[in-house]
Amino acid sequence: MEPILCARNISKSFIGVRALNNIDITINAGEIHCLAGENGCGKSTLVKCISGVYTPDHGEVEISGEKYKNLTPIEAMNKGIQVIYQDLSLFQHMTVAENIAISKLKFEGNKTINWKKIKSIAKEQLNKIGVKMNLDETVGEISMANRQMVAICRALAQDAKILFMDEPTTALTKTEVDHLMKIMLELKKKGLAIVFISHKLDEVFTVADTITIFRNGDKIGDFNSKDLDEKSLSYHMTGREIEYPRYHRTCKDNSPILEIDHLTRKGQYEDISMTIRPGDIIGLTGLLGSGRTELAMSLFGLNPTQSGSIRINGKETSIASPMAAKKQGIALLPEDRFNQGLFIERKIKENISSALIDTICKKGLIRKAEEDTIAQKYVNELKVRTPSIETVVGTLSGGNQQKVVIGKWTATAPKVFIMDTPTVGIDIGSKSEIYEQIHKFADGGMAIIFISDEIQEIMANCNRVIVLANGKCIREFDENELGQDGADKIITDLIGSQSAEEVTP
Amino acid sequence: MTKKIDQFQKMLLIIIVIYSVFVSVKNPQFLQVQTVFDIVKTSSTTMIVAIGLLVVMISGGIDVSFMAIALFGSYTSLLVMINTGINSLVFAFALSMLIGTCLGLVNALLINWLKLPPFIITLGTQNLFHGIMTTFISDKSFGSGVLPSCLHEFGQGTLFKVATENGSAGLTVSLIPVLLAGIATYFVLRKTMIGRGIVAIGNDEESARRAGFNPFKIRLFVYAYSGALAGMMGIIYAAQVNALYPNKMVGDELMVVAAVVIGGTKITGGQGKIFGAVLGVLIIYLLNSTLILIGLSSSWNNLFVGAILVIAVAVTSYQERVKNRSHLIFTE
Repeated sequence: MEPILCARNISKSFIGVRALNNIDITINAGEIHCLAGENGCGKSTLVKCISGVYTPDHGEVEISGEKYKNLTPIEAMNKGIQVIYQDLSLFQHMTVAENIAISKLKFEGNKTINWKKIKSIAKEQLNKIGVKMNLDETVGEISMANRQMVAICRALAQDAKILFMDEPTTALTKTEVDHLMKIMLELKKKGLAIVFISHKLDEVFTVADTITIFRNGDKIGDFNSKDLDEKSLSYHMTGREIEYPRYHRTCKDNSPILEIDHLTRKGQYEDISMTIRPGDIIGLTGLLGSGRTELAMSLFGLNPTQSGSIRINGKETSIASPMAAKKQGIALLPEDRFNQGLFIERKIKENISSALIDTICKKGLIRKAEEDTIAQKYVNELKVRTPSIETVVGTLSGGNQQKVVIGKWTATAPKVFIMDTPTVGIDIGSKSEIYEQIHKFADGGMAIIFISDEIQEIMANCNRVIVLANGKCIREFDENELGQDGADKIITDLIGSQSAEEVTP
Repeated sequence: MTKKIDQFQKMLLIIIVIYSVFVSVKNPQFLQVQTVFDIVKTSSTTMIVAIGLLVVMISGGIDVSFMAIALFGSYTSLLVMINTGINSLVFAFALSMLIGTCLGLVNALLINWLKLPPFIITLGTQNLFHGIMTTFISDKSFGSGVLPSCLHEFGQGTLFKVATENGSAGLTVSLIPVLLAGIATYFVLRKTMIGRGIVAIGNDEESARRAGFNPFKIRLFVYAYSGALAGMMGIIYAAQVNALYPNKMVGDELMVVAAVVIGGTKITGGQGKIFGAVLGVLIIYLLNSTLILIGLSSSWNNLFVGAILVIAVAVTSYQERVKNRSHLIFTE
């Protein structure tokens, strides 16, 4: 395989902090290369150095034989380096076709627009990856998976030779991920180099040929993906052995906290029943669109139910709003922590106190000292790594942000804590800390509904599991069944059963 | 700009038709050619600035200084013409639009340099431009006698005349500049790279930058364009009224903003249609000139415009919410 990009001795510091330390990396044509490491290990900085967004302090980048000390983004793009950022950088109100073609036409220096050409470019690129889409729909109207495809097509339209993808799968369902992987392999066959960053280890092993591991700005090494397994990979990434301890319920209180009975909202979920006791961690699993998030929203008063009943501590009740849910002792950690979980531009202490602002207020004024005490307590308890409670939440890493969301809700002492994919986009180190906290909450008698489609996570944290597919509960596992060998395999197959139905409608 | 006519514009058209039918049943006078032509004439100037504002709003900005620009441009041009004796319509338009362009560029430069919200900047420049004009240039009023005669002729000019019972009614020539502005703007937005850049930065400025657009240059263009259209509107206004006072036009900005929003333009940018903005203006003027015909005092006007504005914004936001819900975003 021939190398198309070599970066040598790349170093980069920000205000005295070393982000990258003498990194060498070679990217070959027709290869899928994964950059692995915890958040803040330097992999994103490296991508930005290679694509010309940052100028490295030392070192050079060689692309197809030409050497650059100060690579600009335009030069990088002209050389075929394309980056698909996590936010995809698409234009919501513009059509699929235009999103695909506009960058190419702009870089070619066109002054006028030929709409026929835009369509033909879009069609050609979509054909390349074998995807059919309505070219006239706006990007705001299509699914996350299709948006990802549009972003890929846009990069291909610009003659990409190296495609960087930052966490391409976070918002995709299992079927969609599989489809994306297939496309990645297809593109690889055509000689494209793909460099991707992902926290989902199983995906890394499915497609990557080479894995480069980073830790704290240093490169640990290049590995052939066949020479690594999940355990050794996470060892290299964190520098320590990570073992997720299995949760066992120890709580003695068997009176149910939350019972739901035949809960239905047509088109989202149907006939869901469950009983939750203190100390239960119920895994609610299924694909995106299986009804799991919709159900969670309903239990938090955001998505009215149509029929069925909810009982809390044996008393029948209805949860009409998040305020009502909070009063009943229900907390929700939303899937989208950036928009729904946090006030991203506010301080940590303000975020933590936000859910119990009523209790720390006296005559309409916030008691600042109490706010500080509470914030400090939960920052310590949850091991949020931050210089102070005055720090703005948006500057923290994903894992630490999530700890702040958890802190905010535990401060309200909830009886039932619904966590919707609590570890999405979070590195392994923070993950295990979050699991540890969840176990501690459950030991203390909190009931937890844990929504996830990562099977290892479900197996490690839950003492009971409910599998949803197409809005229906298709199987329930109790403690004994989960303890048996092969339970994880059965659950994976059950989750997959929805995708089978999707293919043959 | 994808579909020729969308649901929202269809709704506006239906409102206009139903209301017109209602008014004509109440008062057949409305159906007279004269009334219709009058509405077209008075709304034509506003349509031009509405189109300019639409371009600004599509780029994600807002401009509330365009009326001050229109006054500044037309007033200064007419002053020059009166003092030098030039009597040329082309000169009037050219100078006024040039001044408008320059003032628009000032807006864009301030927005870029100070990195402040366009609303605050243009609110400031609105007063600034107006103040500079009345303090340093002149604050005399021009009555009908002093204005160059070409202006008056243009203001009274008609495309064709229709015989009516009270003599004849003519369709104003001011419709031509409106059509030109509309076609030029459609061409810019739809067929040029800079136009797509305007839409792109309105969608997401950072993404536009990544796609190779230069938001600074695009913003210069957008505000200059809006300024030029404002300069054009100022002259037409003076010609129609056949007089110009240094306190006219300024103060009507928000009515135009309302018209553009009623036309379905996204307040957050990235989406908007010329035809929608034109319909928005038409609705406001229709109410303006017909309430008296159905026996309501003109104070009802504000009430209706306000109600339509709120309903229009509510409908767009509701559609957005339905769309969000289908993507599982629960905002309410």
